[in-house]
Amino acid sequence: MTTTARIIAMLVKDFKVDRDRLSADASLEDIGIDSIGVAELLFDIEDEFHLKLPDVPLDLATFGDVVRYVEEQIAAQGTRPAADAASAHEIRAAP
Amino acid sequence: MRRVAVTGIGLVTPLGHSTREVFESACAGRSTIRPFVGEATARLRSPLAATVQFDAGEHFDVQQQRLLDRVTQFAVVAARRAIADSGGALSSLDRDRVGVFLGTGMAGIASMDDGYRTLYADASDRIKPTLILQGMHNAAAAWIGIEHRLTGPNLTYSTACSSSGVAIGEAWLRVASGAVDLAVAGGSEAPLALGSMKAWEAMHTLASSDVVAPSASCKPFSKNRTGMVLGEGAAIVLLEPMDAALARNATIHGEVIGYGLTTDSSHIARPSVQGQAAAMGAALRSAGITADEVDSINAHGTGTLANDAAETAAIRSVFGDRAGAIPVSATKAIHGHLLGAAGAIECVLALLAMRNRIALPTMHLEQPDSECDLDYVAEVARPGAAGNVMLSNSFAFGGTNAVLVLQSSQ
Repeated sequence: MTTTARIIAMLVKDFKVDRDRLSADASLEDIGIDSIGVAELLFDIEDEFHLKLPDVPLDLATFGDVVRYVEEQIAAQGTRPAADAASAHEIRAAP
Repeated sequence: MRRVAVTGIGLVTPLGHSTREVFESACAGRSTIRPFVGEATARLRSPLAATVQFDAGEHFDVQQQRLLDRVTQFAVVAARRAIADSGGALSSLDRDRVGVFLGTGMAGIASMDDGYRTLYADASDRIKPTLILQGMHNAAAAWIGIEHRLTGPNLTYSTACSSSGVAIGEAWLRVASGAVDLAVAGGSEAPLALGSMKAWEAMHTLASSDVVAPSASCKPFSKNRTGMVLGEGAAIVLLEPMDAALARNATIHGEVIGYGLTTDSSHIARPSVQGQAAAMGAALRSAGITADEVDSINAHGTGTLANDAAETAAIRSVFGDRAGAIPVSATKAIHGHLLGAAGAIECVLALLAMRNRIALPTMHLEQPDSECDLDYVAEVARPGAAGNVMLSNSFAFGGTNAVLVLQSSQ
């Protein structure tokens, strides 16, 4: 699955966003993702893509901005094997 | 001061979700205390609780569920029910004139517990970005305000186990004075997370499990009482000026006619007979009535050794020779201690008791205690005994004593 398709799947499943509204220039506010929602989405994206996103304020206004940002981070952080990624992001210990 | 009617009741409680169901359970003395099944089961000496049957998915979409702790979900649903029950109290009002007054002792403790687990147990820094919004004490009141666009005062009271007695009393003052024209008032609590249950256990306040019947583990005023049992839930009432309620032909569940508030300022945990008696006295003065006019009492009655003896002595000191003739009900025996929601559910039970003219029973009171020598309506409901004026007592760690004076609408 492409990065775009994976983010769409997350927004549809976890945020109940209408798939038809997810064009690149769709405003996040308009599709019901406010600033708290963006924070939650980035949190989920870290898990889904095994990324550690930098802890800096972001200006993500549209769906396209999110996809671009995630692709940049994947390019910058590389595609690590899952095990490395897990330790890098301190994913929860197994119960 | 204006007269204030209770024109809406909303419940999310261990005893049920409708006033009818809750009152029938209370009359029958059907305990909802059970062995607690959850993560805490193996970690508690006596895992007991009164839990609410509640499917969040029936009331909230997925995004709301992520943002609303269980305590907020209870409060929001109870508020919806109270507003619906009022038959349109809100419809013609300027929303600036409507306030929310909510009590909670522990607020979003389960969410905080979960966050601390991530932080400490899992040694991870991945705390959810919504944690503050889930855990903060005013979240429940805020969400009620947001959902109904109520733009008047939005206040949260946290005085431990008297929180919602205080919330209803403070709301009553504002409606009576004319500061607001409608109040959504009550309490909510959802304390059944491992961390908070262990903390209550560590204080040695929780009941031992009754070996014959776990559901009978909370025994207010009984000689063999061993402590309280935690419960969860929410209860909300709508307080409306009597004139407005009559003008729109509303169903009136009863009337709040007084409120007494005192503080022990002596010991952080030990109840003070003097402080409790002073609160009852202040409540009577606030209502403009004498002790002789009180027909029955919904006691704080937690089932702890300290509370029940102190409360008995306080009632004796206020009512003197007549104390033994006043029916005193302790319903925590069957719904557990809802902490910051206790005063609200008990206020509702008192109103329903008067409306139905039945004094509610204090269950699991087979062995009288010489220190607790009042008429507690032991074991069996008493038709005709609730009367027309009741006190509802709420006392607390920290020493805040809140007493409501309630009157039947008949």
